[in-house]
Amino acid sequence: MSTTTDTLTLPARARPSAGVHRSRRTAPPAVGQIALHAAFVLACVATLFPLAWMLRTAFAPPDDVFRATLSLWPDDPTLGNFAKAFRLHPVATWFVNSLVVAGAIALGKLAIALPASFAFGVMSFRGRDAAFGLVVGTMTVPYVITLLPTYVAVVGVGLYDTLPGVIIPTIGHCGFVVFFLRQAFKALPRELFEAARIDGAGPWRQLLTIALPNVWGAVAAMAVLSFLGAWNLYLWPHLILDAAEHKTLSIGLKLFATTGEQGGEWGPLMATALLAAVPVVALYLLAQRQIVSAFVTSGVR
Amino acid sequence: MTVAWRRLERSPWWFAGPAVAAAVAFVWLPMVATFGLSFIDWSLLRQEATWRGIAHYGGTVANPDFHLALGNTAIYLAALLPLQIGVPLTLAFALVRVRARLPGRVYRTALFAPSVLSFPIAAVVWLWMFNPTVGVLNTLLGNVGLAPQRWLSDPGLAIWGVIAVAFWKSFGLNLLIFLAALANVPAEVTEAARIDGASPFRQAVDIELPLISPALFFAVVTTVIIVLDEIVGAVDVLTEGGPFRMSSNLLYFLYERGFRHFQFGEAAAVAVLIAAMVAAVTWAQFRFGERHVHYD
Repeated sequence: MSTTTDTLTLPARARPSAGVHRSRRTAPPAVGQIALHAAFVLACVATLFPLAWMLRTAFAPPDDVFRATLSLWPDDPTLGNFAKAFRLHPVATWFVNSLVVAGAIALGKLAIALPASFAFGVMSFRGRDAAFGLVVGTMTVPYVITLLPTYVAVVGVGLYDTLPGVIIPTIGHCGFVVFFLRQAFKALPRELFEAARIDGAGPWRQLLTIALPNVWGAVAAMAVLSFLGAWNLYLWPHLILDAAEHKTLSIGLKLFATTGEQGGEWGPLMATALLAAVPVVALYLLAQRQIVSAFVTSGVR
Repeated sequence: MTVAWRRLERSPWWFAGPAVAAAVAFVWLPMVATFGLSFIDWSLLRQEATWRGIAHYGGTVANPDFHLALGNTAIYLAALLPLQIGVPLTLAFALVRVRARLPGRVYRTALFAPSVLSFPIAAVVWLWMFNPTVGVLNTLLGNVGLAPQRWLSDPGLAIWGVIAVAFWKSFGLNLLIFLAALANVPAEVTEAARIDGASPFRQAVDIELPLISPALFFAVVTTVIIVLDEIVGAVDVLTEGGPFRMSSNLLYFLYERGFRHFQFGEAAAVAVLIAAMVAAVTWAQFRFGERHVHYD
């Protein structure tokens, strides 16, 4: 990192005039630019190395996995680790479970957050601000303080070791989605709804035919963010799901990891980790703009 | 259709009701219940409540394992706060000075990539790299003539292994937050500083840094939340809090008390303590944010 700082302290003499470069911020001179690029390439290589190593191990044949090597790609790549992973554990079921959990949580959050944020952002009624505070205030509640009673309740209603037991309580944590979508609805011009109201359109039609088509970007951002968050859940499904074939990928990984330390099923473990990482990385690359905007607004969740 | 029916049908509570009900049922009620649980003895097996007053708090505070978890939480924070602020901040200052657009975007994409993974995925990837016999980190050390390390089973080293993974997995988020804040710094301000002869370093420290200070505080909060509320996925996969609880933290302590030993009352007391800490930091951030707005 010191290289990066050094480039910032370079003297500013040799800089081209501001008129030539349309760059928003004045950048250091050409030598500085080269040093900057060098530093960033280094930082990116270091950041991506663990992922490259996972990829390499996932495709390496067993004898290659345990070779002390630094080569980034196995000599004869194989899909054997995936086959073995599927033999050792119900990985395909985990994958489907992860999809079901993440999909249901994302859809569920949108299903209750969309009408609510429309009401909070566009309609006016008594008790609106209090209700909004109640919903959005959940953003400030650390998730750990809801854990024990929710666990007891899930066990009590017989949803222990079921996917709905994971899904339903998580849908309730939708404060941020409501907050984000309300901003989007509030930004819409009021006249849009006046005209519809005069035509006799009720609030549901206003939401579905007028408001929704104008906020697809925000909805997509929230769908992706909720999906990512749910795909990556750890502690909650870990507590609720017990049987091996009920687990999700994130928590199933640990079954390999514990056997891996002694037995050394590292190839199949990395193959499974790759399967768990591919959907989120793909989603990230496809919807980068939405994810970035949502992440920046949300902080963490 | 009567007028009353039409009014009922159009009631905003059909829209807002489900979200309000969900917030109450799955966040506010459980929160109150956790508070209540921390004062009683109760278990799933023997569903009978005995009032214990503040005994669980007393017992927790007196528990040596709690001291260890608290101390480790302090180490996690002391290590991760400077890392999670300093490194992304330096990267953000540097990244906005990269002139070429496409490489700039590629760098950002690559640096943020680990942040979309979950803690357990990040943890197993590193678990493999940390492997004492065939892990790539020891291969690297061997290649430069250094002795191999027992990264996660050395009591003095384990916590730093978890810290490394947590940093790798989450610094990208703060990078994005800082980049977004820097994008809002008016170009004229830095331009004026440049014309006055300020070096890029001085521009960054004297002009931009104060202007993005709310983002700094926000990043502090996200880091505290990661340590107090989220890191458990990494701890559980990498070390299970070990060896000898040397990498355990408050959340892992809660998990052990509540879900390994099923001491719900004690676990609830720990949850209340964690929540109080998160609340204190969040409150401080709000206060700071307010002051900053007035200052502007």
